Parts: sequence; structure tokens; C-alpha cells
Amino acid sequence: MTKAKAATPSGEFPHKLPRPKDELARLKEVWALPKGWRILSAVNNTVIGYFYIATAFGFFVLAGILALLMRTQLAVPDNDFIGQETYNQIFTMHGTVMMFLFAVPAVEAMGVLLLPQMLGARDLPFPRLGAFAFWAYLVGGSVFFCTLFVGMAPSGGWFMYPPLSGERFSPGVGADFWLLGIGFIEISAIAGAIEIIVGVLRTRAPGMSLDKMPIFAWTMLILAGMIVFAFPAIILATILLELERAFGWPFFIAERGGDALLWQHLFWFFGHPEVYIIFLPAAGMVSMIVPAMTGTTLVGHRLIVVALIATGFFSFGLWVHHMFTTGIPALSLGFFSAASMAVSIPSGIQVFAWIATLAAGRLKLTAASLFVLGFLFVFTLGGLTGVMVAMVPFDWQAHDTYFVVAHFHYVLVGGMVFPLFAAFYYWAPAFSRRPLSERLGKWAFWLIFLGFNVAFFPMHITGLIGMPRRVYTYPAGLGWDTLNLISTFGAFVVAGGVLLILVDLARNLRPTLQDSAGNVWKAGTLEWMENHVYGARSVPHVDSREPLWTHPTMTDDVHEGRYYLPGSVTGARETIVTSPVEGAPQCVMRLSGPGWAHVLAAVFTAAFFLLLTVKLVTAAIVSGVLAVVMILAWMWDSDPASAGTVDIGGGIRLPTYVSGPTHPAWWAMIVLILVAGALYLSYVFAYLYLWTVSPQGWPSADALPDAPGPAAAAGLLVASGLALAAASRVLSRKDRFRGALAALVAFGVITLVAALALDIWTQWRGGLRPEASGYAAMVYANAVLQGQIVAAIVVMAGFMLARLAAGRLDGSRRVVFDNLAILWWYAVGQGLVGLALTHGFPRLVG
Amino acid sequence: MTPRRAITSVSVPVLLSGCSDVQSALAPMGPDASRIFTLAGILFAGAAVVMLIVLAALWIAMRGSPDARRGLATDRAVIVGGIAFPTVTLIALLGYGVWVMRANITPVDAAAVQIEVVGEQWWWRVVYRDAEGRRIESANEIRIPVGREVEFRLTSADVIHSFWVPNLAGKLDMFPGRTTTLRLSADRPGVYRGQCAEYCGGAHALMAMEVVAVPEADFAVWLATEAMPAPAPVGETDKRGQTLFLAAGCGACHAIRGTSANGVIGPDLTRVGARRFIAAATLPTSRETLARVIVDGQHIKPGNGMPPFRIFSPGELDALSGYLAGLK
Amino acid sequence: MGWPGLLGSLAGLAAAGLCVVLLVAWSGIYNVSASRGHWPLVELLLRFGMENSVEAHAPDIVPPRLDDPDLVRLGAAHFHTGCAYCHGAPGSPMSAIARHMLPPPPELTDRVDPWSDQELFWIVKHGFKYTGMPAWTTQERDDEVWALVAFLRHLPRLDPLTYRELALGDVMTERQDGRAIAMTTSGADEACARCHGTEGKGPLSDLVPRLHGQPAAMLERALRAYASGERPSGIMKPIATALSPRAKQQVADYYASLAVPPPRTQAEASEAGRRLATEGDATAEIPACLSCHDAQALAIYPRLAGQNAPYMANQLRALQRGSGEGSATRAIMAPIARRLSERQIVELSAWFASLPATP
Repeated sequence: MTKAKAATPSGEFPHKLPRPKDELARLKEVWALPKGWRILSAVNNTVIGYFYIATAFGFFVLAGILALLMRTQLAVPDNDFIGQETYNQIFTMHGTVMMFLFAVPAVEAMGVLLLPQMLGARDLPFPRLGAFAFWAYLVGGSVFFCTLFVGMAPSGGWFMYPPLSGERFSPGVGADFWLLGIGFIEISAIAGAIEIIVGVLRTRAPGMSLDKMPIFAWTMLILAGMIVFAFPAIILATILLELERAFGWPFFIAERGGDALLWQHLFWFFGHPEVYIIFLPAAGMVSMIVPAMTGTTLVGHRLIVVALIATGFFSFGLWVHHMFTTGIPALSLGFFSAASMAVSIPSGIQVFAWIATLAAGRLKLTAASLFVLGFLFVFTLGGLTGVMVAMVPFDWQAHDTYFVVAHFHYVLVGGMVFPLFAAFYYWAPAFSRRPLSERLGKWAFWLIFLGFNVAFFPMHITGLIGMPRRVYTYPAGLGWDTLNLISTFGAFVVAGGVLLILVDLARNLRPTLQDSAGNVWKAGTLEWMENHVYGARSVPHVDSREPLWTHPTMTDDVHEGRYYLPGSVTGARETIVTSPVEGAPQCVMRLSGPGWAHVLAAVFTAAFFLLLTVKLVTAAIVSGVLAVVMILAWMWDSDPASAGTVDIGGGIRLPTYVSGPTHPAWWAMIVLILVAGALYLSYVFAYLYLWTVSPQGWPSADALPDAPGPAAAAGLLVASGLALAAASRVLSRKDRFRGALAALVAFGVITLVAALALDIWTQWRGGLRPEASGYAAMVYANAVLQGQIVAAIVVMAGFMLARLAAGRLDGSRRVVFDNLAILWWYAVGQGLVGLALTHGFPRLVG
Repeated sequence: MTPRRAITSVSVPVLLSGCSDVQSALAPMGPDASRIFTLAGILFAGAAVVMLIVLAALWIAMRGSPDARRGLATDRAVIVGGIAFPTVTLIALLGYGVWVMRANITPVDAAAVQIEVVGEQWWWRVVYRDAEGRRIESANEIRIPVGREVEFRLTSADVIHSFWVPNLAGKLDMFPGRTTTLRLSADRPGVYRGQCAEYCGGAHALMAMEVVAVPEADFAVWLATEAMPAPAPVGETDKRGQTLFLAAGCGACHAIRGTSANGVIGPDLTRVGARRFIAAATLPTSRETLARVIVDGQHIKPGNGMPPFRIFSPGELDALSGYLAGLK
Repeated sequence: MGWPGLLGSLAGLAAAGLCVVLLVAWSGIYNVSASRGHWPLVELLLRFGMENSVEAHAPDIVPPRLDDPDLVRLGAAHFHTGCAYCHGAPGSPMSAIARHMLPPPPELTDRVDPWSDQELFWIVKHGFKYTGMPAWTTQERDDEVWALVAFLRHLPRLDPLTYRELALGDVMTERQDGRAIAMTTSGADEACARCHGTEGKGPLSDLVPRLHGQPAAMLERALRAYASGERPSGIMKPIATALSPRAKQQVADYYASLAVPPPRTQAEASEAGRRLATEGDATAEIPACLSCHDAQALAIYPRLAGQNAPYMANQLRALQRGSGEGSATRAIMAPIARRLSERQIVELSAWFASLPATP
């Protein structure tokens, strides 16, 4: 064993054996989990990943029960098992919970659990952020679901089309629960996405260049990127609709200069990528399982990566195919029809790559393999019906019928649930003392597979012979009776299969972070090394896509501590930060440990949104303030001072403190700016869209506020930017300018706030009121968006000044300032664009 | 359940669909629906072929001869199967689909019959125009002449609805503040059921209608009758019914042309007795169902705009519903 | 002792306690008589609990203007019907029988001031358990409860003469015909005229409807609905319940036969009110009010011309809030009332009030 060649370029192991006696004990101590119920304060990706998956699966079961209730109601015509209003709430919740509380969190959860292990990291780069995202999701999601029991659930459908979801047609708090609850869960999803992007790009094991990265990591990277660009559209939509409901700003009310279709554009610009956000990671899991189960490398690895990127890219160009029946012009129908068909090509590539891999090796027919084969069948069928509904004339008939219900269940259950179950059976041995039962798994597969096809295949026909979606009952005699009864039967068979999986999980899943069942499938990727709470004992060098196949002794070498960083060099939790493309080690990043601040921050954030929904404004504000306080408390210790340069082995010496683009926090901030930018671009789209729909609502140049107002606001923004630039220079020079720095930051923040206030005042004095028209509402929405960013800057600047005063910020320890500066530059830019849009654009066209 | 049984139980109703095809895209009764039906046939056949190819490839990959498997296990196979094949088929399909789309959108007849339909929660307001452009309003039942192109001008009074009569054409959404245009025609006389296809809240499931296609000559006669004021009540009971209708305030929401009832909130009742169904194709028209709607409409269609009128004695209710049933 | 042991003992204790309570109740040892009063300590404790309970439950809402004379007059009339028997009133001390309740009802003249408006509102609306103080007979008419609170605020300063004027107006006791029933029943308490006026004289409070010239069928149905609770009113319910079916018919005929007196105040009418009343608003699905409320409509519908605006607005608001379906006519009106905005309610009420009554 000692003769084995290391995976490093030199072939030498970075560390010699034996390792110092207390090294492992120290490592364990540093990474130790809190005991007993305090486990709730844990932040380790393995623990949070477990919680996360369990919660998501719990919501899957709950939403599945709702589906059974619906199928029972529809089993026979003219049924009165469930009344109209309850049924409408149930189908709304089924869709919403499956999409927002199960599918997206489930794939993110798989990422949280698997990525660090797969990439050779000790943990994700921002453990508390990940934990925060989870707790926010758990609390918010649970309360949201419970609205069903008190009859306060939304009933406007998961797509919440206005005007139906507007105040007039949906009075009461149901729709507000949807808007605030879901908006908030999206924020949690974005937090998770930031974590995943930075984790994948910056914490891979040394040597793991992008082309050696597992496909699953690729899919998670693309997924997170898609969340960053897609979710802001729905966040904007929910903000606008909530402003309309709460304050009467008429964004979607046609008679007051709004437009109902605006919502559909925003919703589907998010909603379509959402489908791929769900599908891509599942495809990534399949791409991991197929090679392991056939014992051969994935055929067409590069093609698959290209296909994944292409899918992510195309998926943003398809949203209109959910709107083929809205009467939009033929030219755009043709374009979006073509784009919708084109997106099937990347999926075709993947399907044939998996088939090719199956041909190249010999498939072991395990439960996981069965689920993968089931996935291939069901998903391909769903893809084919997808091509059908991409044909505009066919969609005119099929749209909003049970044909579409059948289609997207084939795509989503086939494309996501089957792979997820495959993943359960495949990865369980890596995280459990026992693997799951093959026998129960196979039974479960056949029940789910057959039940699924019995339930959903008939729906293709039910739809084409005239049954629309979202109907709580139907009359006898239209030929739908038998088909519906069959579907109901199938649904209960699926439920039986899911029940078997639950039984299997209860009987065999024994979560562990010490003595997992291990690499029972003889797979080749890093997550199959021994998994501890700190990941692997030492971080290996990676020189191939399946390092455990290339270096059969790697698991033992890693376990003995021969590779990088076999202990804790700074006495804290730490992981190696590598370059985004090549995977070259750049620094050792210290990670935060367990704590309560982020848990409380999540609880209070959830409370803020939920209390706002039920209009307990005072309590909501208190919660909001507490949430900010908790976030600041958690951030206070998150930027430790440099611990000098450390040796990770193999002669590699790395700094423990970096700033600028080398620091993962810089990347996180940039991703956040992309989110903010995407949100603002969605707004610009909405503004221009409304203008194209009702240009007569836009004022002529002389009805606008006089130029000096916006000019002064622009001046203030520029002044703020100059103050920031000066502050940055002062910070770089010497510490004794601390007072000057504080003054500059304070001045800059005040001018930033003043610019916003001046702009609002200018419009207000000009007589514009947000309730007056769609145009006016859009103008003030700009101020709302700018206000969000400015409020964040005010808090962050206060935090930065507090750190400056406490001696936790100086010319070299400056990450907090740098992050503030990034957002600040962005705010100045967005402010200027906003002024140009709201004052310049009407002058240009008017 | 075995797959075989699943297949037979699925296919049996399809074969039987001849007896229940009043709301089916698989029983086209007009050129637009027929073109889509043909397209659907091609799509289904194509999908079946592709599915077979994929399943065959999967079979070969797992159980085929070593040579066949070696051939499959290459990048080239992935490129041929995953890129070349779909690209060619999809481009061909797209061309055909765009042709069908244009054929369905393009107006055929410059002098098409024009009918305005307004979607409301949860019924359909139907407006015809006579030669002088006067409004002739009706509800939930649309008469069209066979063989003539009909242009529907669709809009909504409240939320988004969707106009769908699958035997005749695909669906088109109805928006507040917008007008969308759908052209279709029927090849032969018949009654075709339609239903709102965009979720519109509460009783969305009960928002249906009927399109009655009649020969052109009959249509002209019908329209002329429809344009006339409602027949005056004959007989004491009917007269009492009309008096009750007006005194109880029904006319605030419902119009009966020729009387002082001129409400525009609910369906026009000028010829309600001549329509096959009431309550948006939910109940067959009769004295009894009319009486039920007057007294208990909230249980037939929860949440609809009409309050329950439980103020009438049995005799009064009978007179009122009899008067309405007689409006033909 | 481990957890199971501890839990077991706790469960045992609880069971034993329950047994003792049952035993005491079964044995009849406890004396429930009201003749002996509470022990002083118990009394103190009960009072402490009561005061804190009121403080904790009193709603956080802004009261209407409590010095509105219309409100005070309405409250006074109901005080005389519902409260004076137990609590006494200026000029008529509390009944000797009521004095022997446990606890005895307080004389209110000096007991009202310590409570805030919201606390008084809560007490009047919900009453007290185990004391004899009843809840308002409907929970849907907060506007009526506020009327009583408004009166209670005036009560400490009232002399007997003013009280009588406020609560009884110029009611007398004489003849036995429809008019007399309206003026008296068993005493002056139920006399309609206290609030609704009589020949040539309209209601003294604008919160009270003008019944003069309304269709008898509507009035009679309203009395029945008040009595059955289908139409919620804590003020009308006791009065309507006390009237026999024949008396209801007679009093309805009486008011239907009366000529409409001129209004006390001239209301300001708006064009918006007129349009809504005569044409309705089709986009908001509001039918024209006059389709059912003009002189030609069914006799079971009220005529609204010349009706008091504050009364009408209150009724519309009560219809909006009402939870149950109520009477057949309320079931028609409630969904329509819910489509009205507060502004529309005010405009409509003012417009109708400005019209000359046409019987």
C-alpha cells in the first residue's frame, strides 16, 4: 500500500506517515457537532443536508396526500367529496408545495449534502448561510402549509394569475400568504444558490479543474446560475402584485393602465427555467449513477456538459410557450415554438449518452438502476409530449387540459422524482450505516412506475377529449368517467410505492457521520471515500474524473492523512479555496461553526413575512428588526483576522486571509449583485412592457417633473460614488485616517438616501400618485427597488463602521468594506439608470 | 394492474368516444379542428416511432450483441441519436406546425359572421349585431351558421377566461381590457360543447356553453327572432310571473327586451326559455331548474353573483319560473 | 426516579384531583345559594380577575364619536328597555329583586368612569359569566353596543327629568288599538314611539329608521326577523320578542298608515349617489338600488326615499359584516352590500335621505 503512487503531479504524497498522534483528535474536536438538542445549532453541510432532504421529502408526502384527495374527488363525476373552494385551495397548494417546497429545496438539499463530499471540500464556504436558508425554508414552509388547515390557503392556482389573484377577486389573506410566503422561500433558494455557486467554483479539491468536475457538480452550478437569473423575475412579480393588493398600485388592472399579461411574462420567465432547475440536477444524479452501476466512465462527458449549459441557456428563451393561447402575434409564436423544440435536443443528447454508457458497461439491475431506467422511459415520453405542445396549433387544443397535466407530470415526476428515488437508493450507503433494502426498493419501483403510468397515461386522452385542468368536478356523459377512475386508481398505487419507500427509510436508514456502509457500488467519485463530519480526513489531489478508479488506494491514503490538510492548521474549521477553473490552491478559508444567531435570524425573518401577511404590522416590524440584529450578530465573527501563512502539505504554503476576487465572499457578493441586477432588469422589462401595451398612459414631456429635480438626484448619486471612491483610497492608505473614513462613509450613505428621497419627492410634488395609473405605479416601484438596496447599504455601512470602531476593520482586513463597496457601486449605478428610465425615457418617446 | 390491462382500459373509451364526443378535440367538426387533428395524428405516430427507437436502443444497450453495443457506446452514436436525428425531425415538424398555425389564423371570409363573447365569472355573454349594428344579446348558447366563417371577438369582464370549443377549434384566452379574435367554422349541423379553459376562480368547473351550428337559412331566421322583443306574457300566471319579475327587482341585473327590465349585470333573459341549458350549460332549461336557480343558485354554482331569492311563495315561484320558461 | 416514574406520579395526582372535584360536586356539599354572598377574600379575588380579564380582552379599536346626540338617545332608549330593571336609572332606583342577585348589579352612576370606552364596550358586548350580566343578544351589531356606551358616558351627569326625556320621549299610556300598542305594551318600556316617533313626528335619533309610510308587509317581516334573530339587533330583539304576532301586524299597519313627517336635517346629496342608486355600477356588479327600493317594488322591500342617512349607512355596514345568511331579504341584500365601498355607502345614504318620501 505504501508503494502506491499519489495523485499529485509529482507522484509524491504531500504528507509523510505516521501523522502526529493528536492531529486527528484535534480535527475531530474542531469539527465536533453540538450534542443533544443543540444539534439544531449545527451548520455542517452533512447535518443541514440531512434536515433539508428530510423536510423536502416531508413536503413531497404532504403534497402527495393533497393529490390523493384531488384524485378521490375526481374519481367519479358530480362528486361532492370535496367542495369547490377547498378543492381550489388544494390544487393550488399541491402545485405550489411541489414546486416551491419540494422540488427546488430537494435538489438544493442534494447539493448541500453531496457537493462538499464530491468536491473534496470540508464544508460549503458559508455554512451559516446554508443553515439560515434551511431554517427559513422550514419555518416559512411549515406555516405556509398550515394555512390549509385554517382555510386561509390561497386558491388562485400556483401560477396566481391576476386579476384573479388581485384584491378584488381574491379578498382575504390567502393570496398574500402565497405572495409573501413564496417570495420569502425564493429568497431562501437564492441564498442556497449563492452558497452552491461559490462552493462549486471555489472549494474544489486541488487539481480538480472544471473538466474533471463530476457532472452532478456541473448541474448544480448551472442550476444555481439559473436560480440567480430566473428567481428575480418572480420576486419582482410578487412584489408588484403585493403592492397592488396592499396599496392599490394598479400594475395588473387593465382599466387603470396596468396589464394582466405582464404577470404571465414575469411568472413564466421564472416558471419555465424552474422546470429545468428541477430537472438538471436530477439529470446530474443520473449521470453519476449510470457510470457507477455500469462500472464504466460516462460516454460523451463533454457533450453532456455542453448540453447542460445549452439547456440552461435555452430555458430562458421559452417562457412564451406557456402563453400560446393568449393571442400574441404569430411571429413570436413561431419563434418560441422553435426555441421550445430546440431545447429537446440537449435532453436527447443526454438520453443517448446514458444509453451509450449502458452499452459500454454492464448494468447491475439494482433498485437505483430500476429507477434510472424508469426515469428514461417516463422522461422520454414526457419529452415527446413536450415536443407536441411546443407545436402551437396542437397546444391550442391541449393547453390547460389534462393532456398538459399528463405531460408535465411525465416530465417532472419522470425527470425529477424517479432520479431522486434512484439517488436515495444509490447514495444511502454513503451516509447511513446500512444501505436501503434492494427488495423493498424494487417493489417500490414497480408500484410507482406502473401506478404512475396507469394514473397519468390516460390523462393524455382525457385532455384531448375535452377535460380542462383545475376543475373540481365534471358532468357525467362526456366520456371522462372511466378514464378518471383509472387515473385515481393509479394514483393510489403510486402512493403505495411511496409508502414502501417510507417503510424502507424507517427500517434501514441509519444516519451516521462515522461508519457509513461505504462504497458498496464501487463508484469512482470522492463522496464514496469515508464521510466524516469534516468530510474526508485529508483533501486529495484530483487528476481524473473518477479518482477512486484511477487511484484504488486513494480512500486509504486520504484516511491516513497523506494528502493535503490532514488536520486543522489554524485551530478553526477550514477548507481549501482553489481557483475557479484550474482548481489551484489559493488560500485556506476559515469557516464558522455552530451558533444560534442564524437560526433565530431565520425564524425572525420568517416571522416578519408571515406577520406582515396577517397585517400584524407592529409585530412584523419588531421581528424584522430582530432578524437584522441576529444577522449582524452572526456576521460579527465571520471575518477573522489573518492567522498568517500556513502549510497544507506538499510544500504548498497558503495565506489565511485574502481580499478582493480571491476571497469567496467577493464571489458571493458578485452573485448577489447579479441577482439584484436581474431583479432590476426584470423591472425595466416590466416598465417597457407596460409602455408598449398602453403608451397613452405615459405623460408627455411637459407633464413630467422639471429637469432640475432628477438632475440634482443624479448629482447626489455621483457625490455618493465619489465619497465611496475616496473612502476606499483612505482605507488602503493608513489606519490613522479612521475618522476621515467614517465621515466619508457617512456622507456617502446620506447622499445616497437623499438622492432617493429627492426623487420620490420630485415625483410626489409633481402630482404623481402611485394608485393613479399603471405608469405611476411603475415609477414608484423603481423607488421601492432602489429603496431595498439603499436600506441594505445603510445597515451594512453601520455594521462596517461598528467594525471599524471595534478595530475589526483595517487596510488589510477589509472584506466587509469591499463587500459594502460592491453593493454601493451597484446602487449608484442602478440609481442613475432608474433616473434615466423614469425621467429620460418618457421625454424620449413623449 | 398489468400494463396490458392498463392499455386495454385506456383504449376502450377511446374507441367508444363516438358516443360522447360533444366536447372532444378528437372528433373535429370544422376545418380548424380537423387540421389540428391531423397534426395530432402525425405527432402521435412520430412520438410512437421515436419512443420505439429509444426503447430499442436501450434494449440493445443492455441485451444486444457485443458488436451492436460497441457501436452504441460512442460519441458518434450520441451525436447521431441526440443531435442529428432530432434536429432533422424537429425542423420538418416545425415547418408543418407553422403552416397549420397560419392556416388557422388567416381569415378566409372577409364577411365573416361576427359574434362578441365576454367571459364573466362564471358564464358567457354573447352579443350578435344585426345589419344595422344593433346589439342582440344572449348568453351561454351560441348559434352559428354551418359552413360560414365566424369571427369571435373575445374579451372578459373580470378575470382571465379561455374560450374553447374543442370540436371546432383550439382555445383562445379572454382578457379584461383586451380583445382577442378567434375564427372558426363548423362543417355540419350539431351541438358542440365548450368550456372555460383558463382557471377563473370558484366555479370555473361549471363555466360551460354550447355552440349550436344550424344551416345558414335557419340561422338567419333565428337571428331575426332573437332580435325581436320578448313575447308578451299570455295567461294570468305568466302575467303574474312578469309582474313578480319586475317588482322583485330581477330587472336590475337581467334584461328582458320589451319590458322595463334592462339590467346588464347578469345574463340577458329575453329568450332564456329557448336555450337548451341554463347556468352556463350546467342545468337543462325547465320550470323546475329555473326555480332552483332563483331560490338556490348559490348551491348550484357557489360564489356566483346572484343572491338567493327565497322570498316567493310556491305559487309565486311557479308563476315566475313559468314566465321565464315561456320566453322563447 | 426516572422520567416514566415522574410522569406516572403526575398522571396519578391529576386523576386523584379530578376524583375529588367530582366527589364534591356529587356530594352536594357546596352551597350554591345566592343568599349568603361570597367570602370577602373570594370576592376580592373574583373582582381582581374580572377587572384584569376586561383589561386584557378589551379590543384595540377606535370608538365612534361618543358625544353624538343620535348615539346617546338610541343608547338611552335601549338602556331603559334592557338595563334599567337591574341597574336602576336616574329617578327610578334599582328593583328590590335585582338587589338580591349575586353579585348584586352595581348602580352605574359612579361605576362607569374607571373603565375606558373600549372596556365598557367589551363588557356590554360580552357580559360576565356567573353574574347575571348578559351578553348583547347579537354579536354582529357593534354599532348598537357603542350607542349604549355613549349613553353610559352621559349617565353619571343625568337628572331624572333629562333621563326620561332621552329614554322615553313623550310616550304615554292610554288606548288599546294599534296606536296604543305602538305607544305602550306592558309598560312604557317596549313602546316603539320612544325611538321611532309617532304621527307627525319622526325619530329623534338619526340612527333610528323612519317607519312612517313603509309597506306594512316589510315592517311586519322585519319584526319577525328581529324576534327570530335572523336580523341581528340587540335593541330590537327584546322588543320584537315581546310582541305577539297580532301585535306585530297591528303595529306594522299603524306605522304604514302614517304620513311621513319632514326630515330633521337636510342631507347633502351627491351626483355619484344618484347615479349609483338609479343606474347601479355594472362593472362592480352593483344593481340599481331603485329596482327594489322604489314605490313600485314588492311590499316586502323597504322604501328608501327620505330614510335617515346614518341609519341606512349603519344597516349597510351591518349587512357587509353579517356572517349568517339571515332573513330571506337580507340574503338578497347582503352580497350586494358587500360590493359597496365605504364611500359608496355614504353617498347612497345621503342621496336617499335627501329625497322627499313617496309613500
